[in-house]
Amino acid sequence: MAKVKVATVWLEACSGCHMSFLDIDEFIIDVAKLVEFHRSPITDIKTFTPVDVGIVEGSVGNEEEKEIIEELRHNCKILMAWGDCACFGGVCAMRSSLNKDDVLRCAYIETASTYKGKIPQSPGVPALLDKVYPANQIVKVDCYIPGCPPEPEAIKYGLTELLAGRIPVLPSNIMRFD
Amino acid sequence: MSEITLTINGKQVKGNQGDTVLAVCEANGIKLPTLCHYKGLTDVGACRLCLVEIEKERKPVPACLYPARDGIVVVTSNEKLERYRRLVLELLFTERNHLCAYCVASGDCELQSLAYTYQMDSTRYQYSWPNLVVDSSHPYVVFDHNRCILCGRCIRTCDEITGAHALDFGKRGWKTTVSADINQPLGESSCISCGGCFQACPTGAIFSKGSAYKGRPDECAVVESSCAICGIGCEVKGLVKDNRLVRIDSPDLSSDRGLLCDMGRFEPLFKPAERVTSPMKRNAKGQLASCSYEEAFEAIAKKLGSLDNIAAIASGKASNEALNAFADLNKALGTKLVDTLDGDDFRTITQGIAKFDNKAGLAMEAGLEDILSADAILIIGAHPVKTHPVIGSYVMRAASKNKAQLIVLDPLRNPFTFRASVWLRPSEGKEDLAIKALGNAILDHGKVSGDKTKFSAEFKEVEARKAAKTLGMDVNDIYKAAEVLAESNNSVIIYGRGILQFKDSSMVATILNLAGLISKKPKVISLKRNGNSRGAWELGISNSKGSVVTELSKGKIKGLYLLLADDLAESRALSDSMKGIGFAVVQASYLSPITDKADVVLPSLLWTESKGSYTTLDGISKSTAPMVKGPADIKSDADTIKGIAKHLKK
Repeated sequence: MAKVKVATVWLEACSGCHMSFLDIDEFIIDVAKLVEFHRSPITDIKTFTPVDVGIVEGSVGNEEEKEIIEELRHNCKILMAWGDCACFGGVCAMRSSLNKDDVLRCAYIETASTYKGKIPQSPGVPALLDKVYPANQIVKVDCYIPGCPPEPEAIKYGLTELLAGRIPVLPSNIMRFD
Repeated sequence: MSEITLTINGKQVKGNQGDTVLAVCEANGIKLPTLCHYKGLTDVGACRLCLVEIEKERKPVPACLYPARDGIVVVTSNEKLERYRRLVLELLFTERNHLCAYCVASGDCELQSLAYTYQMDSTRYQYSWPNLVVDSSHPYVVFDHNRCILCGRCIRTCDEITGAHALDFGKRGWKTTVSADINQPLGESSCISCGGCFQACPTGAIFSKGSAYKGRPDECAVVESSCAICGIGCEVKGLVKDNRLVRIDSPDLSSDRGLLCDMGRFEPLFKPAERVTSPMKRNAKGQLASCSYEEAFEAIAKKLGSLDNIAAIASGKASNEALNAFADLNKALGTKLVDTLDGDDFRTITQGIAKFDNKAGLAMEAGLEDILSADAILIIGAHPVKTHPVIGSYVMRAASKNKAQLIVLDPLRNPFTFRASVWLRPSEGKEDLAIKALGNAILDHGKVSGDKTKFSAEFKEVEARKAAKTLGMDVNDIYKAAEVLAESNNSVIIYGRGILQFKDSSMVATILNLAGLISKKPKVISLKRNGNSRGAWELGISNSKGSVVTELSKGKIKGLYLLLADDLAESRALSDSMKGIGFAVVQASYLSPITDKADVVLPSLLWTESKGSYTTLDGISKSTAPMVKGPADIKSDADTIKGIAKHLKK
């Protein structure tokens, strides 16, 4: 049987979800036997190729992240969201109730440790979106594993279900938002 | 109440006429999700989670408001209802900030736990991201409106249980928020800090500064105890993690003594002063230094045992066990001058009752529940919202829920004055005349249900009209108050500091006369100062002749034993009058100007750390259980005092 092709992306988040994935103990050996990682922070491959499963960690808060998730969606058959950021917005969405310009001014100019600060203007720095969005407000998402970070058990559940050909819906007893 | 039979989910179940469908479900173990429903509060149907289908109803209805009727057919769960419930949850989650990862209530949140139940792994709606106020102006609770779901439980608790009605909904529609008074910061509002809103809040919208991030309830041990602070004896439930008080809750907010106040709920979570952690005595340099219990006992027994003219004073905060040991020690020492710190109150009240009629006067002492069933409440010189907040709540509840008429007789403004039907405001020091004028006006009114022949003598001496002129009061107010009291069937009189401060027992007798005049079954509540004031009085610790505290400053007393326990409120005056004492022993929980003056200091446990019995101000016996351990190796007050007694015998 051909291996399942997987790509993962790490958007506006802390990488905790990927850490939780690496924390699934010996199950990772089974995963490695069944799965082939393409673009992912784990493989350090930077280019997209068509895959079966796309996994997104993190919320979407700037132009680059928006582009990445759109490209991932374009290249995968099933898209799974990992963690509170991708599912709901998470910690990153703290800024969503504030004005974007105020946030930038606060971060780059007004903080106590900043001397002669200025807001980055270079075209190389991706511009912030007005709000921080969960993945499903930018692209269609097929399944969700919330948690901050998701318990390894929840990640394992999601992968097991997918490998068995089912769309996972996390049962109540292992669902956590924190 | 007649029994009814209805069908829920295909099963026949029984309920009572007048029950809601939700109540029948709860009684029959059928679970329905709820958020705005809270035991003891009026249901409002705000959250729409308990929607059920009822045959012949056009659309789903909230079970918490739908009256159960004989023969109705109810479905509590089907694909459509479950879909609606998840939809409601998603709408709630997207309305404000309900991101759990940085919420203090995560793990103790009804909204979160319902989202788990309904496997809500994402939301389909756009977030509205309002930027609402986080109100941290209150000393004990923070109100984060961004976490609020507008269930109104805090508002209904504040109104229906606390009686303060400091909270309500402000603004309209989409912009609705919970508002304190007319959009005041909570800390500047008429909130009385009972913390009921915090306990009732299902999310992280209202949280306690003293409890935040100390531990989740599921990680805590629960210890049931009762509060020993003010003499009401409210039941409390302490949540403890790693020998630290995480929070103090009421076991059941809706029960009669279920309400708590800031003193019982929040203050024990903070440390008001440095603790006395071991026995201390003066060393060669004259400084207080730690020593063993044995050394301290030895020093005390040697000194106090040899002195002639010694005095012993106890705080009304000490437990009955400590006070019993205290009495025994004084017997062994032959201490003649024994008193409590609130001895003046004791003398004023008991001598007042004796002047009136000892047996009848004692029978008038009412239980606190009588306030709730009263139709008229006369508050004379008392500020229970400050001194005994739960009594304050009872009064406000009686006024708002049961439409009891409030009459306030007080020169000072208090939270009742604006709620009162009449506020009689004599100038300070003239309360006596005002009470008599009120009695006179009641006699004038004619319709007196009490014993007119027996109790009217004192009130015939004054004339309401003349007195009103002297007092600078409107005579119509006096007559209006008289009418309310004369026509009431079930009145309660509450008096406190404002009267007791004069140390005039005849004022107490006048109040009792007034009570006797108004009602056949007169009910009077005197606000005793401390958690175990009544216990100390009943054990005969308080001196019936005169104040021992005033004796101290006269310089004749050579030795003093002061059982302060966790009484921190005692005045600087006391430490000043200790100057001339040759040898002073202070047993206290906290270091203070008083312990500074002592020759030997003994540590004392707090009520949250010890087992003890206390007598409430209306005479009920309550006991505390240790919720946390005190500083290492501290003996209980009773054991400490017994230790001294043992050394005396050597």
